[in-house]
This record gives sequence, structure tokens and C-alpha cells, in this order.
Amino acid sequence: MSGAWASDIEPEYVPGYYGSYQDYDMSHTGDPRQDIEYERHYTTHSYIVPEVIKNFLIHFQKCINTKELAEIERSYDNGFNKLTERFFKNSAWPEADVVSPIVNHDKRFIILYKELYYRHVYARVSGGPSLAQRFESYYNYCALFNYILNAEGPVNLELPDQWLWDIIDEFIYQFQAFSIFRHKIANKTTEDEIELLKSNPKIWNVHSVLNVLHSLVEKSNINKQLEVYTSGGDPDSVAGEFGRNSLYKMLGYYSLVGLLRLHSLLGDYYQALKVLENIDFNKNSLYSKVPACQITKYYYVGFAYMMMRRYEDAIRTLSTILLYIQRTKTMFQNKTQLYDQISKMNDKMYTLLSICLVLYPMRIDESVHSHLREKYQDKMNRMQKGEKQEFETSFSFACPKFLSPVPPNYDSDGSVTMFKEPYQLQLLVFKEEVEQQILIPTIRSYLKLYTTMPISKLAAFMEMNEEELCTQLMCFKHKMKNLVWTKGPSCLEGEFQSASEVDFYIDKTMVHIADTKVARRYGDFFIRQFHKFDEIMRSLKSA
Amino acid sequence: MAEAMRATVATLLKGIDRYNPENLHTLERYVDMQASENTYDLEANLAILKLYQFNPSLYQPVPTALILLKALTNLPHSDFILCKCLIETSRLNEEPVSKVLRLANLLERASFQEFWAALEEDPDILIGIVGFEDSIRKFVCHVVASTYQTIRKEKLRQLLGNISDAHSSQWISKYGWTEMLDGYVFITNQEENIKTKNITEKISFDSVAAIMASGR
Repeated sequence: MSGAWASDIEPEYVPGYYGSYQDYDMSHTGDPRQDIEYERHYTTHSYIVPEVIKNFLIHFQKCINTKELAEIERSYDNGFNKLTERFFKNSAWPEADVVSPIVNHDKRFIILYKELYYRHVYARVSGGPSLAQRFESYYNYCALFNYILNAEGPVNLELPDQWLWDIIDEFIYQFQAFSIFRHKIANKTTEDEIELLKSNPKIWNVHSVLNVLHSLVEKSNINKQLEVYTSGGDPDSVAGEFGRNSLYKMLGYYSLVGLLRLHSLLGDYYQALKVLENIDFNKNSLYSKVPACQITKYYYVGFAYMMMRRYEDAIRTLSTILLYIQRTKTMFQNKTQLYDQISKMNDKMYTLLSICLVLYPMRIDESVHSHLREKYQDKMNRMQKGEKQEFETSFSFACPKFLSPVPPNYDSDGSVTMFKEPYQLQLLVFKEEVEQQILIPTIRSYLKLYTTMPISKLAAFMEMNEEELCTQLMCFKHKMKNLVWTKGPSCLEGEFQSASEVDFYIDKTMVHIADTKVARRYGDFFIRQFHKFDEIMRSLKSA
Repeated sequence: MAEAMRATVATLLKGIDRYNPENLHTLERYVDMQASENTYDLEANLAILKLYQFNPSLYQPVPTALILLKALTNLPHSDFILCKCLIETSRLNEEPVSKVLRLANLLERASFQEFWAALEEDPDILIGIVGFEDSIRKFVCHVVASTYQTIRKEKLRQLLGNISDAHSSQWISKYGWTEMLDGYVFITNQEENIKTKNITEKISFDSVAAIMASGR
């Protein structure tokens, strides 16, 4: 790894992308099983690529080289997936060295091809990627990012936003998968593989991954661009040579979302929100065209807020995106993979929302609320009653797959559950928080029944003495007074507020209660029906 | 001195250099400074915990406990949770970190009297932290101010850590509360802030405008 972007880093850190590659030679493993595998790889050279695939690849290459964005998008989105369904449902696409002669040994195309190739191996090929494939895919990402980052001027390449997002998303996904994989295999793999893992500590190393994302952010000047954009200026004025180029600009933006995700996976919620400092959440922007990116962004922000006990912000964030999904879902129906992915995220976010609303009841959008009532009422009731198990089940279903940034100790027989450690920690923090406020929903349900009541009476209901009750009431206040975002682009900022449904204060021996009464809403309902009707009319007209 | 450090440290934490373990020594010294000069820098402290997370062999329990105690001084902010999420589960059970966790749990439950009692049993844990108790008293006052319209002075005195009558009078006047003749302290008129809300529907111009536009 060389080049300006890495030179200011301690030498020890510079990921040895190619340094250690030399001593890793696949043909001489000495392990019979691997050698057979190698043989099989070798024989694929004689695999005859069907004409239709050949034509597709040549066309794909051509439109990338002539920068026809619409055509690239069609091949990426449609062509590749259709051919996958037809020829490679559960098997890998042809190897890069088989493809290479077809496309006239176009190195750049091969890198892009391999990006798709390995992504497909991860997603669809039964048995998943082998250790070698995980390594290869990593090297291929390095090659891609080196090509983009080490160029003297912006590279002559345009890719659709969706693809650029997928690159960042997949890069982090594969890092995540590798971190879990290396913890899981410690007991059930061959010594050679462990040797291989040990001798290549820099592959899928957390520093390397962070380095790539940070470099993309810096190269694109995306933070400055967003700052200017939010204040109404022209981002191009500060973008610089690279940042003006859409490829760099979007990769920079997606890297910010990637960092949000990566920091969250490591349990660092402060940094997670901090990297979004310049992204204005309350403004629909030209950066938000890719739905999967939007959903990722809101999910991780919502989750981070929940962990930070900023329930009101979590609820606002989650219901915004859930409403968005509800309204746009039909758009994805014919894209099976995306649709499945979005549905899964949708369920996770409803679960998070239900947790937050049990802890912090407040009014939310009517249509999100009605879905919640339909599907999650039972769970919410159980949590309300103080069933800790239900909190835990919901949390483990809805939380991200946390990971450890350090490799396991391959030498100890270590327990298999090591890879669960990061999850256990986040669960512990969450459970302790819930435990501290477990009585609040019960207290709230009594308060709701009165406008004033003596402390002694409430204490009797709660079966505790008055002293203990006052402590509980103070705890109620402490937990319900959250930092709430009010203005500005940074989602870390906020003021202490309490918008929860039931509020109260103690005057001498009496508790005075203030409830929230909500009048029925009609306008909202009609507005939605108008839009629905309008959409139907439009689709009828265009049909 | 800590204030001067703040700027220096901020430059250390820029970009990828934040993960450079060579900064650890400086950062750890900076935590000591925060303790002795009663300043606070969450971001720098989180950076230390992150370096421990990335380099488990460099983990140091004493600075970790110090960071956690400093996080408590910033209650009601949830800094403590942010810190806790970065410390390995097994480390949380080791002293002195486990002791701080116990204290935090009491504060988060608003069990202030128990908190002061626990602190009294183990005063050594605070050695070197200037202004810790007063920071906690500020948090107590914050919670009291949002819960009570009137509170018995005796009760308040206990919540503030069994301080002397005169000392509690100082806190009362600091927050502009009033001591009344019947032994109660008047905090503030809560009726004005905490009252039944009636939410009626408001329809924004934008949402109607969108409909009108589509009806053209």
C-alpha cells in the first residue's frame, strides 16, 4: 500500500495489502483437501462460458468504458441479476481468469467484475466463501480503492449511486462476516488455515477498514461539502478536484454512513453519531436517492439514540423511516432481494420502536402506530408488565450484529461463544438500563388514573414505603427527561426535555399529575387518502 | 493546563490518527489532568477506551475507572453508558471498575442516600478527583428541581449526602430556591410547566399545498 493518503500514518499501521500476499501461495498448501480445491479451480479454465454471458460481459464492459450511466445501471441492476437467476443460482460466476480474455484483459473491468463475483459468492453460493475467497475478495477491494484513491486526478469512471453504495455496504458486511468467521472457526478448522489467519493479521483488519473509509471521506471533502450544502451554498465551491466528481462525492457520503454503521457495530455510539455531524436529517437531500442507504442510516441512528437513552429522538428517527418505507414499499416489490432486505429491516425497526415506546410512551404518526398496534401489541404488553425476558428477546432480534475488532486467541481452545462477547456486552448495558426503570410503566399506569393523589396512596399501590416511592418517582423523572435534538445538523446536540405522555410533580405530600389528551385526528387521514388516490390515478394513466 | 491540553488532544484525535496507540500515554495523562483540575472531555476519554478496545493488551483498569467516575460527574447526560459500551464484559467485573459500576447504578436509580453511604464505605476511590461530590450534588439538584414543588429540607439535606444544615442552605440559595418556615423548601412553581396537555390537530400549509398542486 503506498500513496499519499496512507503516508501520514504510522508505518506500523499501513495495511500490508500486498506485503504478505507473496508468501500466501494457493498452489502449495500441502493440504490435500485444499489441493483438490485448487485442482477444481484449475479445471474451471476449461469451463465454456455460454454465449449469452459472453455477450453480457462485453456489453457491460463497453458501457462502463463509454460511461453510459443508464446502460451501466441496467446491466448492474437487471442484467447481472437475471443471468444469476438463470445460470448461477447457487453457484459462482465464471472465475476472473476465465473472464479476462473475453474482455480483452481489461484490468479495471476485472476488478469491478470480481466485486460482483465475490458479493455473489457471499450471498448465494452454498457453503459460503472459503477462507481463500475471503482473502481474495479483500485484496480485490484494496485494488479497487487503490485505483480510486491513488490516482493523480479523478479516475475516468462513473458508476450508478446504487452500485457505489453497495460497494461500501458490502465492504463493511464482509469485514463483519470475517470478524465473526474467525472467532467461530478457531475450533473447527485445519491447522493450516489457522496458520494462514495468524500470518495475515492485516487482512480484514479493523484499521485497514477504517483507513479506507476515512480516506474516501477525506479525498471527497464531503464534510465541507455538506456543511456548505446545509447552509444553502454550492458544495462545488469547496469540493476540490476530486469532490466535484460524482464518484468521489458519493463514495465519500456513503463512507460516512459506512462509518456510522462500523462504529455502531463496535459499540461506539458517540463516534457513530459524530461522523454524521454535517448531515442534516431533517432535510431531504440530493444525497438520499438510494433507499437502502437511507434505511441503514436511520436504523443505526435510531439504535444509537435508544442506547443513549434519547428515546424521543429514537422514536422520531424510527417513525420517520418506517413511514417512508410504508409509503414507498410498493416500489421495491419486483426487486426480490432488496424487498426482503427492507422487510427485515422494517421488522427490526418496528421492534426497536416498540421497545422505545414502552419505555417512553408518546404520540407518533397514526399509520405507524396502527401497524404497531396490529403486530406488536402483545410484545408491548408483556414489556409493559415488566417481563424482562421480552425486552431481551426483542433486543436480540432487533440489534445489529456487534463485532470484536481484535482477532481471537487462536492458540487457546477458547470457547465457541467468544464471538458473542460484543453482543453480550451491549445486551448487558441495555438490560441494566431496563432494570433501572422497570417499575416506571407500572407507576405511570397508576398516575394515569388520577389528577392528584397522596404519596401514601401511591406507595400502597406499589407496595413499598413512601421513602422508596419518592426514590422511584425521582428515577422516573430522571429517566424521562431526555436530551432531545432541537436544531442544527449535528444529531449529538440537544436540550433536556420531557414529552412523555404522563408527567407529575410532588408538592409536600401530594403528587400532582398532568396527562396528555389527544383529540382525534382527521386531517392526517384525509391527506393520506388524497395521496393514495392520486397515486392510483397516476398509475392508471401511465398503464 | 488541562484547558491548554484540550486543543492539543483535539488535533491528536483527527481522522485515522485517533486509533494510534502511541497517543495513549498522552491521553491517559490528560485524564489525570481532568481529574485534578476538574475539567471534562468526553471525546478524549472515549478515544482512550476505543484504543483499549482495539489493543486489549494495553488495557489499564485505573484510568478506566477514572474515566467512568468522570462520566458520572456529567450526569444527567448518558456519558456513562457510552463509556460502558466500550469496555469488555469481563473487565467490568474487576475492581476498581466494578465499584464504579455499583455507584453508577445507584445514581441512575436516584437512590441518592444509598449512593452516599456506599461512597462513605470506600472513600479511596475518589482520590485525586477534584469536585466529584459537588458534581453529583448538582445532578441531585437537577433531579429534585424537576420532581418537587416543595421538599422537606431535612430530606434534601440527606439527598445531598448528609451535609450540614448550613451547607444545604448554600445549595438552596445557589439554585434560587426558598426555605420556608414549615421546614419545607420551595423549589419552583411546577404548575406552570407541568400541566395537562391537549393536543389538537394542526394541518401544515405544505401538506395542503401538495394536495392542491396534485389536483390541478
